[in-house]
Amino acid sequence: MKALKRSSLTDIIGLGLIFGVAIFSLILLVAPSIIVLIISFDTRAYVSFPPEGFTLRWYGEVFQKSELVESMLNSLQVGLTVTVLCILLGVPTALACVRGRFRGTTALSVFVLVPHMVPGIVLGVAVLFAGALVGVSPSIWLQSVAITVFILAVMVRTVQSRLMRLDPALEEAAANLRATPFQSLRTVTFPLLMPAILAGSVFTFVEGIDNLSVAIFTHGFRDRPLPVELLALVQYTSTPLVAAVSGVQIVLAIVALIAVSLTIGLDNVND
Amino acid sequence: MMQNAADNAATLSQAAPVLRIGAVDKYFGATQVLQNCTLDVGDGEIVTLLGPSGCGKTTLLRCIAGFWDADAGRIEIDGQDMTPVPVNRRPVGVVFQSYALFPHLTVARNVGYALRMRGTPASEIEARVTEALRTVSLEGFESRYPAQLSGGQQQRVAIARVLVMQPRVLLLDEPFNALDAKLRSTMQVELRQLIKQLGITSIFVTHDQEEALTMSDRIAVMRGGRIEQAATPDEIFDRPVSSYVADFVGTSNFWDAQAEAGQVTLPDGQSVETGLSGKVRVMSRPHNLRLAPEEQGPWRGVVLFQRHIGPLIEYHVEMPDGATIKVAAIRQDRVRPVRDRAAVSIGIIDSAQVSVFAD
Repeated sequence: MKALKRSSLTDIIGLGLIFGVAIFSLILLVAPSIIVLIISFDTRAYVSFPPEGFTLRWYGEVFQKSELVESMLNSLQVGLTVTVLCILLGVPTALACVRGRFRGTTALSVFVLVPHMVPGIVLGVAVLFAGALVGVSPSIWLQSVAITVFILAVMVRTVQSRLMRLDPALEEAAANLRATPFQSLRTVTFPLLMPAILAGSVFTFVEGIDNLSVAIFTHGFRDRPLPVELLALVQYTSTPLVAAVSGVQIVLAIVALIAVSLTIGLDNVND
Repeated sequence: MMQNAADNAATLSQAAPVLRIGAVDKYFGATQVLQNCTLDVGDGEIVTLLGPSGCGKTTLLRCIAGFWDADAGRIEIDGQDMTPVPVNRRPVGVVFQSYALFPHLTVARNVGYALRMRGTPASEIEARVTEALRTVSLEGFESRYPAQLSGGQQQRVAIARVLVMQPRVLLLDEPFNALDAKLRSTMQVELRQLIKQLGITSIFVTHDQEEALTMSDRIAVMRGGRIEQAATPDEIFDRPVSSYVADFVGTSNFWDAQAEAGQVTLPDGQSVETGLSGKVRVMSRPHNLRLAPEEQGPWRGVVLFQRHIGPLIEYHVEMPDGATIKVAAIRQDRVRPVRDRAAVSIGIIDSAQVSVFAD
């Protein structure tokens, strides 16, 4: 009993410490978003804290400014394009890296990671010049491709880690049970990879919408994505309009997270 | 040995073997993992590949299933060379060590999988799934998922899943490993009865010699990629061809001796015939030995301790040279209790049951 009591005392101190650190981290993570949300309702026409009143004026302005709405739609298109490209390229790449029976599977999985390690600005400039070299000017498509190159590693890694934990005997069993290689992929491998593909999609979609460093060099002159539009807005205006745009994004992010947790579950995203 | 040859000839003359493994070699890089493996398996026969890990038993099984290609030799099923036949067209069913049940499919869909892949009509699939589940006594489990089943039930689903496609050869890769000891022995007997009743030719891989003795019509003991001996459990147990086989299957006592003029003198004074000469190794099973009071024989030692194994008592007798000889006796045959540290002599009950090996 004595030993138990002593250990439970240290347990309480330890738990308290962990709890304290956790609360502190949570505040650190959430506080900026909350402050932005608060500012977005301020009545004053400049950014300041704490607010002096409550108004929905800035949210109204967000949806009245056509360039903001257009940039949101542009970013949505980029997000979707990037996600589709990442699924089409990333899933086969992950399969090749894990199940491939050729030399260089390790080299391939490292190679995919390289663009993600390069600073986004460097990649953006590189894609801009490379595009110019082959006669492709900046556009919503060039931007989508550039961000795909940048974020592909995340999809590959997510699917790869799931694939590595799948029992290889499952695919052998499918083959033994008369499945052709394609049938085995369709009926066994893909359904079991689905949670990882969805999780990867969440990350690539968010990156497609939110990326600034790559987008700033590759976006089309007439098709400005939201982050680029926001940057300009911050530079030339000082109203809480920017905060309201962020508010819209935060709400959308929360809606997306709830949707994911209700469909595939957040646990599946983590693994 | 003569009788073994005659037995083999008898099985062969009855019918052509279902599975013929002919001189199969397999390399992983520069390492040879299968060496001239040759084995015929008759219709409805259960043959066990037995050996320690790394002996090549699973490799051979995977070559038969078609997951790996043999580098030399042939594997035939019903006289047809399997070399050009891809995995999904071989008439074999594999029960994996992990069972490899599809976790996202219900029991019914797991069992019906092979039929769906083949494009069997839905009504027929349902009937055959029901029948397969009845065969393994799992009616009513159709809509469960594998994670909701016990280990033993999962094993039966894995068996039903391959039975449904009526394979010519059933391959079982250590199917009892995932089960606890008590369930294991029940399932062994049940599975043997089921396979025998269905009459499916089966290859069974295990490293557990007791499991092999329970399950098999014949056992192929493997060593370093070769089949060292393939014979009935009786034959393997009573007439092992090498000290390796004797040591791997059952408990055994070994000692060194000299063979002269076709005779080996046994330590208790008897002698046994042999074709060997010079230095030999002699082996006797513990149940072929008996204890006697010290003054009755020349082969003397001291009882170290006694192990009670169900109806048997195993005496560990320390010899003057430090070696330990194990002697087994049926509990009720024991004349009087033997005390630990008692001086005893050991006698060989039947000298014809003693094996003599060159190594």
